[in-house]
Amino acid sequence: MKAVEKVRAERLERRFGHVLAVAGVSFEVYGGEVFGLLGPNGAGKTTLVRMLSGVLSPSQGDAIVDGISVTRRPELVKERIGYATQEASVYPFLTVRENLEFRAAMYLYGTAVERAVAAALARFGLEEVAGRRAGVLSGGWRQRLSIAQAVVHQPQVAFLDEPTTGLDPLARRTVWDLVYAEAERGMSAVVTTHYMDEAERCHRVGLVYRGRLIALGTPQELKAAVRKKYRFYSIPAAEPATRDGHEGVVDAWQRGGATRIVLKPDAPVPAGAIEEEPSMEDVFILKIREENAHALV
Amino acid sequence: MRWSRVQAVARKEMLELRRDPVLLRVILVLPVAMLLLFGYAVNFNLKRIPTAIWDRANDRISQALIHELEKDDKFDIVYMVGNEAELKQLIDRQQARVGLVLPAGMLEHIRAGKGVKLTALVDGSDPTFAFQAQVGLQKAVGRLNARLIAARMLAGEAQPPPLTLAPKLLYNPEGNTAAFMVPGIVGIIITQIAVILTGLAIVREKETRMLESLIATPVRPGELVIGKVIPYLIIAFVDTLLVLWVGHVVFAVPMRGSRWLLLALVFLFVLGSLAIGIVISARSRTQIQAIFGTLVYYLPSIFLSGLFFPIEGMPRALQLATYLIPLRYFLEAARGIMLRGVGLETLLKPFVLLAIFTALALLLAILSFRKRLL
Repeated sequence: MKAVEKVRAERLERRFGHVLAVAGVSFEVYGGEVFGLLGPNGAGKTTLVRMLSGVLSPSQGDAIVDGISVTRRPELVKERIGYATQEASVYPFLTVRENLEFRAAMYLYGTAVERAVAAALARFGLEEVAGRRAGVLSGGWRQRLSIAQAVVHQPQVAFLDEPTTGLDPLARRTVWDLVYAEAERGMSAVVTTHYMDEAERCHRVGLVYRGRLIALGTPQELKAAVRKKYRFYSIPAAEPATRDGHEGVVDAWQRGGATRIVLKPDAPVPAGAIEEEPSMEDVFILKIREENAHALV
Repeated sequence: MRWSRVQAVARKEMLELRRDPVLLRVILVLPVAMLLLFGYAVNFNLKRIPTAIWDRANDRISQALIHELEKDDKFDIVYMVGNEAELKQLIDRQQARVGLVLPAGMLEHIRAGKGVKLTALVDGSDPTFAFQAQVGLQKAVGRLNARLIAARMLAGEAQPPPLTLAPKLLYNPEGNTAAFMVPGIVGIIITQIAVILTGLAIVREKETRMLESLIATPVRPGELVIGKVIPYLIIAFVDTLLVLWVGHVVFAVPMRGSRWLLLALVFLFVLGSLAIGIVISARSRTQIQAIFGTLVYYLPSIFLSGLFFPIEGMPRALQLATYLIPLRYFLEAARGIMLRGVGLETLLKPFVLLAIFTALALLLAILSFRKRLL
């Protein structure tokens, strides 16, 4: 991975009236990196992405995108980035090609538009539907078009807000493959999602909760961090009630025919328990649990 | 400002319009339907007014007058009665709307060189009707008078008849309502196309979250506004020409003044109206809000512009309020150009005021179209 810094958020903050939607978030994204912003609905992911792309001005802090400050030169930032909104934004009465042409013309002009559109149709496998109206496309195809639009001008950085929400697993995989293909040619992608398994697909992940960044690192780093604090076991056919009966049980839930339990490192291990690796879901839930515990204090 | 971006926005807007079957109908059918509706239904030209006559004279003069009344199809003599009470009763029951009393001995009086006083009972409940009926009566009497004067002059009789007042209608002698209405309909249609369609076009982008995508591109507010406005400018022009053409063919509406001046006027008015549409849409979150916002602008425009109700008849405060209504200036100038055939030197005031309105509206449009979401 190249160590060229493409995005640097510096204590970004945004208030809507009395509500603090994003509170002092800082992180970096490097060239060719796929960076996941993971968090539940309403955590502030979209607000964060809007500030990074110059759509929304921060109440405080700044972000440097491809070397340019979003607070000082948002117009310049916009020329270097691509942005796909949460719902696939396509014009239903326009064909796939026309949608791409329109978006490309916002950045390029003359023959460069045609070249960029042809390239995007090829990269995203949209040639077969190029003449079809966007309104008749299925969700997966529409999302593909939406991302193709965001990167039709081959930007340095792309912000993709929940590109996989509402898609079936196959379409989701396609979206991620396309994002990686773009990253391979050097583009950095900031992708928001609330699907835990998708976090595993990112080079690095930031966990956003209640407007704050509560964890940051590669999926491996994040999992290793929780493994230091907790141990994860699977007990065949046991009851979730284990939580109450045993000392040191942090969490427990039924999973198929087994119960998964999370223990403190020094807690006694129940008989028949098999140790497991933590998943990103574990990381996420435990981090949120810690956050909430702090909030109560 | 990069022209290629403006072009791309305009092209996209045109494509969307062309492929939206509902919008296309609104653009092409609505103006013509409105023109026909206003032209035929809102017709202030009265024809075949049911009339009752008490002919006490029953001589050559009274017969000649009845003949005059029936001649131009304005009056339909449905009853001949024997006393005034009957006449009154017919009007009360609305079986007749005009009652005319022709006094006894008309011929003798005229021969003796004395004036004859005719009594007309006119249903005054509708002032427009009453006025038209009176004008119609005056015209018939005037025509007969002219014939009588001529006959007496030929006969070498010395005494001139008593002076009679013959009203003369200028510019629109046939009292053609369509001629008066067509400039107004052009104004209404421009207001509708410009304010409503433009408003909806932008709010639609907001509702579908397209605006957010656009805001994240380097497109500037000015480029977006101009690009969006161009197709509607073209549509408003096409609609204006369509209405003028249909008005000319179907209702024989005259075009006495300069066509270029009229087009310049249409251009100014369309531009200002489009800007208002943008201001409304920039402040609305949903299409429903935009429609209500439009009505707030549209209804006072119609009632205070002098389209249906003469401004002279309004209370002072409302008269002052009409200065805020751009449709007023448009109507003043359009009627001047089309019906009276006058030029810019006469219409300088409405033109200048309309230009000021348009400039302010455009400024407001660009200011209110904020590129950031909040």
